[in-house]
Amino acid sequence: MLMLQRIGAASERLAFAVGLYPLLLGKVLRRLHKPPWFFALIIRQCEMVGVQSLPVVLLTAVFTGMVMALQSWVAFHRFGAESMIATVVSLSILRELGPVLVGLMVAGRVGASFAAELGTMRVSEQIDALWTLSTDPVRYLIMPRLIAVILMMPLLVVLADAIGMLGGYAVSVHLLDQNPHTYIRNSYDYLQLIDLYSGLLKATVFGAIIGLVSCAEGYYCAGGAAGVGRATTRAVVISAMSILMADYMLTAWIFQ
Amino acid sequence: MTSPLSQITQPKISLSHVYKSFQGRKVLDDISLDIMPGESHIVIGLSGAGKSVLIKCILGLLKPDSGTILVNGENWLELSVDQRLKRMACIGMLFQGAALFDSMPVWENIAFVLLRQGMAKAEAVERAEEMLEWVGLPGIADKKPAELSGGMKKRVGLARAICHRPEIIFYDEPLAGLDPVMSDVITKLIKRLHERMHVTSLTIAHNMKLVDAFSDQVSMLYEGKIYQQLSAAELRLSTDPLLRQFIEGRAEGPIRFSSEATDKADLNADPSQSRKSQTIFNKERV
Ligand SMILES: Nc1ncnc2c1ncn2[C@@H]1O[C@H](COP(=O)(O)OP(=O)(O)OP(=O)(O)O)[C@@H](O)[C@H]1O
Ligand SMILES: [Mg+2]
Repeated sequence: MLMLQRIGAASERLAFAVGLYPLLLGKVLRRLHKPPWFFALIIRQCEMVGVQSLPVVLLTAVFTGMVMALQSWVAFHRFGAESMIATVVSLSILRELGPVLVGLMVAGRVGASFAAELGTMRVSEQIDALWTLSTDPVRYLIMPRLIAVILMMPLLVVLADAIGMLGGYAVSVHLLDQNPHTYIRNSYDYLQLIDLYSGLLKATVFGAIIGLVSCAEGYYCAGGAAGVGRATTRAVVISAMSILMADYMLTAWIFQ
Repeated sequence: MTSPLSQITQPKISLSHVYKSFQGRKVLDDISLDIMPGESHIVIGLSGAGKSVLIKCILGLLKPDSGTILVNGENWLELSVDQRLKRMACIGMLFQGAALFDSMPVWENIAFVLLRQGMAKAEAVERAEEMLEWVGLPGIADKKPAELSGGMKKRVGLARAICHRPEIIFYDEPLAGLDPVMSDVITKLIKRLHERMHVTSLTIAHNMKLVDAFSDQVSMLYEGKIYQQLSAAELRLSTDPLLRQFIEGRAEGPIRFSSEATDKADLNADPSQSRKSQTIFNKERV
C-alpha cells in the first residue's frame, strides 16, 4: 500500500513537472510574434551555446568516428566486406551518432548551465527584479536561450558529422590500410541527402528539447541552493532521456 | 478610508480582502489597505509575518488566492503581460536581498531601465554614478555585485529602485545591514524623495527609525491580519500591549511567535488540499 502511494506521489510529481514544459512553451509562443526580441542576447547565447561547445563536441565526434571505423572493421573483416566500412561509418554518424551524441553533450554542458543560471536567478529573486524593472523575464532570459540552442544544434551537428567522418577515414586509411580513394567513393556513393537531413532534423528537435527542459527547470525552480542543484540534475537527466526517446520516435518516423 | 480626502482622490494602491496561503498556511488573511498619493506607508511586523509576501502580491509577483489589488485604480492581474510591464515603469522596488543581477556591473544594474528605454551608454553611466553618490557609494560603478558587502548591495539595490524616477516605491527593509551613519544617510535620502518628488511609498521596517523619520501611516501586520493602522504619532502614544511590546522589543508580552501561529494555522488548514510540489516548483510565478 505504502509502495503504491509512493509510486502515486512520484508520478503526480512527474506529471506536475512535465506540465511545466508546455506551460513555458505556451508563454514563449505567445510572445514570439511581437518585439522586443533582444537580438544582442540571442547572439551572446549563440556564442555561449555554439562556439563554446565546439571543443567538447568535436572531440566527441572525432573519437566516435575512429571507434566506429575500428569496430566495423572487426565485424566486416570476418566476412571480407571491408569496403563497406566507409558506408557504415558515415551512415551511422550522419543519421544517428552525430545528432544523438552532440545532443547528449549539449544537454550536459548547456542544459546544466541554463538550469543552474536561471535557477539561481529565480531563488535570489533576480527574475522578480527583472519584472519590477519593466522587463519580461520570458523574453529576456528564456527566448534568447531557447532560440540559440535550437539554432546552434544543427550547426554543431554538421561540424561533428564532418569531423567524425574524418576520424573514421583517418583510422581506416592510416591504421587499417584501406584504399583512400575507394573509401571516399564508398562514403560518397551510397549516401543520400535524406541521411544528412534526417540528422539535422533530429538535431533541431533535440535542441528544442534541451532548451525547453532546462529553461523550465531553472525558471520554475524553488528551494534555495538545494533546489538549484535538483533543477540542474533534472534538466540534464530529463533532457538526455527525452533525447533518446525522441530519437527512436524520429527514426521510426523517418524510416517509414 | 473615512477621511474626506479619500473621497476626492483615488488611492494609489488599494487592497481589499486579500488572502494568500502557502501549502495551507495562511500568510495574508483578509488584508485591506489603502495608500493615498504622496503617502508614505510603513508596514511593521514580526519576521515571517508576511510583509514581503504582501509587497510581492501588490507587484503581481505572487498571485493572491482571492481579493483584489488596485494600483492607480487598475487591477493588474486582469491586464496582459505587456500592459503590466508598461505600468511597471512607474514602480520601483528594493528587494530584501537586493536581488542585483550578478552578471552585470553595478552601473548596468542601476541604469538597467534607462538602458532598456534606449538611453546612450555614456549618459547611463553618468546617471548611475550620480545615483551611487546619493547612496554614499561613489566610485564602485565598475565592480560586480559579488564584490560588494551586504550593506553595499542593499544600497545599490536602492539606487536601482529609484534611478528611473518612479512614482510608487516599495522598500523592503531599506536599513537592514547598514551602520548607524549610513542608516541616517539613507533615511534622509528616502525622506527627500518624498518631499521633493512626491512619491508614494510602502516601506517594510523592523525598527522605529524610519517610522519616526517620515511615516504618514503605520500598519502592524500580525498573524496574517492588519492588527492596527495608525499614524506614527499615535503609534508612539499607543497603549496597546501588543504594539508596545513590538516597539520596545521585549520578549515578554502578548505576541505569539510564528511557530505557534503556524501550528494553529495548520490545524485549520484543509488536509485534503495536497501539498502538491509547491516547495519544489514555483509554477505560479510570472
Ligand atoms: N514562496 C514561498 N513558498 C512558501 N512559503 C513562503 C513563500 N514565501 C513566503 N513564504 C512564507 O510566508 C511567510 C511570510 O514570509 P515573508 O517573506 O513575507 O516574511 P516577512 O514578513 O517579510 O519576514 P522578514 O521580516 O523576516 O523578511 C513565511 O512564513 C514564509 O515561510
Ligand atoms: Mg521580508
